[in-house]
Amino acid sequence: MTITLDGTTGITTPTTSTTGEFVTSVTGFKNRIINGAMVIDQRNAGASVTPTNNQYLLDRYYATLTQASKFTVQQNAGSVTPPVGFTKYLGVTSSSAYSVLTGDTFAIAQYIEGFNIADLAYGTANAKTVTLSFQVYSSLTGTFGGALVNGAQNRSYPFTYTISSANTWTQISVTVAGDTTGTWTTDNSAGLGIRFGLGSGATYTGTAGAWAAGNYLSATGATSVVGTSGATFYITGVQLEKGSTATSFDYRPYGTELFLCQRYFISYGGTSGYERMAVGLCNSTVSASICIFLPVSMRSAPSLSYSAVGDFGIYDGGNVTVTTALAIDQPTEKVVTIAATVASGLAQFRPAQLLGNNSTSARLTFSSEL
Amino acid sequence: MYKLISNPLGAVNVVLRIADNTSIPFDPANTDYQAYLKWLAEGNTPLPAE
Repeated sequence: MTITLDGTTGITTPTTSTTGEFVTSVTGFKNRIINGAMVIDQRNAGASVTPTNNQYLLDRYYATLTQASKFTVQQNAGSVTPPVGFTKYLGVTSSSAYSVLTGDTFAIAQYIEGFNIADLAYGTANAKTVTLSFQVYSSLTGTFGGALVNGAQNRSYPFTYTISSANTWTQISVTVAGDTTGTWTTDNSAGLGIRFGLGSGATYTGTAGAWAAGNYLSATGATSVVGTSGATFYITGVQLEKGSTATSFDYRPYGTELFLCQRYFISYGGTSGYERMAVGLCNSTVSASICIFLPVSMRSAPSLSYSAVGDFGIYDGGNVTVTTALAIDQPTEKVVTIAATVASGLAQFRPAQLLGNNSTSARLTFSSEL
Repeated sequence: MYKLISNPLGAVNVVLRIADNTSIPFDPANTDYQAYLKWLAEGNTPLPAE
């Protein structure tokens, strides 16, 4: 075995895969899942949500559902002790005893950007084997399911795993041979999705253990979490890595993990009443052009959302004037300009600060999620 | 429902999703914009910019 140390990639310790090729096991982006340890929750800061379809939850994870209000999601829901080595988990709680219909599906998912799976060579004869591992805890026992899927949602790999003991953290490992067919993007669009099923009908389930043409979120016969009122499904330590063996969880520095999340979502505000968020200039008595240099290059030019427009103000050195409208203007992946409007009172050509209007509820968010 | 937004110079390069006051750039890689294009393709029309 050769151990390499250089100033670019750090320490590299190759291991031999089952096919005899060398697979780096230490350096680089071993875990393709972002926020696998569930530590980042920019949107909800640990609060419980009843998600709508495609709503993002803890950073990078979103809910898929065909019926509203069947489950809630919260970081560290139920306050059980996380597995050794972890402090956070994503917790799902079933809100009712719902019998899934043929066309129903409920799941928690994360899409990996195409750039971050390009080396897996999916869709080619050289497609690499990957291993998905995670720790799971449920009030239910039995066979559970999930699926891997491509960005176009027309290639899926349903899988199953077993939880034998209720209310006990269980380490799961699923090895998946790479898909040699189908279309797999390798750019900034959705590359590879990981789905954890919470209950699905026949339309969205397939035979476990094989790639198939279709859009599946779980495996045929898997346990329905939403089928039992109050049932819990907690998960953390999610890792997807190249190779046929699950290795130890790839802990990354908190700041690194936050930066990785911020490529897709950034939130400002909430720490103090007059929190400064960005600066610019007043281009009239009723408008200001505010510029934000984003902390990371986002996946695409982001969308802008905010809490309530009255939560914000423009400070021109004289007064704080409440905003009446906020909209992005000519955003890029790196820099966003916000056109801020007030009723009156700004001094034209003065510098301007966008800040909370004495409100810790003020939230300014940028999203370029997949 | 969506509404086009013009910037202070009169250019329209953003659309507002009225339901949640989200302003969306005309970036083909932005998934909110992709949803807007799908909505347009279904025959809908946004409110004009003011």
